[in-house]
Amino acid sequence: MIELQNVTKLYGRVIGVNDFTLTLGPGAYGLLGPNGSGKSTLLNLITGQLRPTLGTVRVMGQSPRNNAALFRRLGYCPGTEGLYAHVSAFDWVKYLQQLQGMTAVKAGAAAGDALELVGMTAAMHRPISSYSRGMRQRTKLAQAIAHNPDFLILDEPFSGLDPVGRHELTTVLLNWIGLGKSLLFASHVLHEIESITQSFLLICGGRLLASGTAEDVHAMMVGLPNEIALKCTNPHELASLLLRERAAESVRIAGDTVTVATNQPARLYGQLPGWLKSSGIEVSEMHSADESLQALFTSLMKMHRGEL
Amino acid sequence: MGNVGAVFLFEWKQSLTVPRMAWWLVLAGFPVFIIGLIRFTIEFGGGSMELTPREFWIWFLFALCPMLVSMLGTMLWVTPVISAELERRSWVYLSVRPNGGTAMLLGKYLAAVTWVIPPVLVGLAIAIPLSKASDGWQIWWGMTRLVCLSTPAFAAVYLVLGTVMPRRGLVLAVAYSLIFELVICFVPAVISKLTVHLHLMALVMRWCELELPPWMREGAGKLIGNSPPWEHVAILLMYPPILLAVSVAILRAGEFSSAAESDV
Repeated sequence: MIELQNVTKLYGRVIGVNDFTLTLGPGAYGLLGPNGSGKSTLLNLITGQLRPTLGTVRVMGQSPRNNAALFRRLGYCPGTEGLYAHVSAFDWVKYLQQLQGMTAVKAGAAAGDALELVGMTAAMHRPISSYSRGMRQRTKLAQAIAHNPDFLILDEPFSGLDPVGRHELTTVLLNWIGLGKSLLFASHVLHEIESITQSFLLICGGRLLASGTAEDVHAMMVGLPNEIALKCTNPHELASLLLRERAAESVRIAGDTVTVATNQPARLYGQLPGWLKSSGIEVSEMHSADESLQALFTSLMKMHRGEL
Repeated sequence: MGNVGAVFLFEWKQSLTVPRMAWWLVLAGFPVFIIGLIRFTIEFGGGSMELTPREFWIWFLFALCPMLVSMLGTMLWVTPVISAELERRSWVYLSVRPNGGTAMLLGKYLAAVTWVIPPVLVGLAIAIPLSKASDGWQIWWGMTRLVCLSTPAFAAVYLVLGTVMPRRGLVLAVAYSLIFELVICFVPAVISKLTVHLHLMALVMRWCELELPPWMREGAGKLIGNSPPWEHVAILLMYPPILLAVSVAILRAGEFSSAAESDV
């Protein structure tokens, strides 16, 4: 489905993508990398907006540059917003479907269906300027899927969505994959990709550092410093519990949030629910700080350079 | 072509806003205001002018309508066609559609031309009676044809400039207008034949039965020569297809990603 051969993209003296070689068959893939790692450049190369400085890019066996036939089969939801403020979501998605080659009537029907799928029916005739960030994100997704493409490319699609929105969008994308369609999903948050697919591509510094399943990524993260933030009812009790169980190297308390540094994240994730149940502490939020992933990328970069 | 039609209709719908309509009125009102101002401040018949009142009004209307207002209207709409989408970061949604960039370019060009011509013609229709020039109908008919030729030609020129250098397009367009259309067109050299202005000038002389002002006879007059009007019309009609093809070629060859280095 995607074939990149020694692709390098330079912006003047800045390297966007560096000697990238990759072959992906049909399926769902997560492109994981920290901000500035080259994800957007890679997606711009795959969607034909950029021309590689070196190497070749093939999508479904064809060059993506100015390729009308390919664009009929491709859906793209970019990371940037770029919506028309004074236009309604319906008019905008309909307009883009007309550009896709549909008649006005078909484009209107496709826009309505896509906006319904992403839960935007009630607000779709309001101007986009009145939308929340999550609603704009859903609208962006609707324009990407309305023409029923075979291959969907999403750049940070969960950005700005609330938990309910994330859950709904996850369901939409899982159904999409269930239809046998292909997906490439770029994010800098591990669990976002994990909720959609188990196939990962790790990118940093414009290079493909590793690829594999979610288990492979977690296995790589074991032993690396890992920070987890927990918002709970009794932070001091939770902190002492974690230290008592020797699950944390250090703890930091700020308000109702405990930030735990651990070298055994797998053990912590596995045993935490039991500890919380027995102690009666209620955790309302838990998230892994990006630093843990960054640590993984830093280690992989060092391995890549032969420094580890 | 359906894609071009979609962009054309979308752009027209977008243009029906209060600020755009106000700009439409400014374009229509500008020649009326200037002609009205002159009409009520200058007294003709003193005998000291080199031009007759009829010639004076025709040259003034020519400078305002097919030239200044058409240029300004198309420059401000057409030149930022790509840069506006890039700055808004909406370019990406168009560029991943089949021939999306081309459709956007041509659709916006058509929308701009059809949007600019009406206010110029309205302004002309009010300004000519206001000037009280003799042969009003002949002047109106000549100027109307000139507006219908100048607007698409200028728009095509500005489209190329906006495609060649999207982020500095307006600067380039202003520089082009001042240097080529207002200075070089009067230079007796072959390069002036490439300007839209020179052909419009030749046509206004034929269609409105004018002589060149004395100060222009040595320069542009020699270039205009005795070519029949159809030659100038043909050249002006060739501007849009040739320049649109050039713009599309530049667009397809170039990289117009909104991605900056910070987005890497």
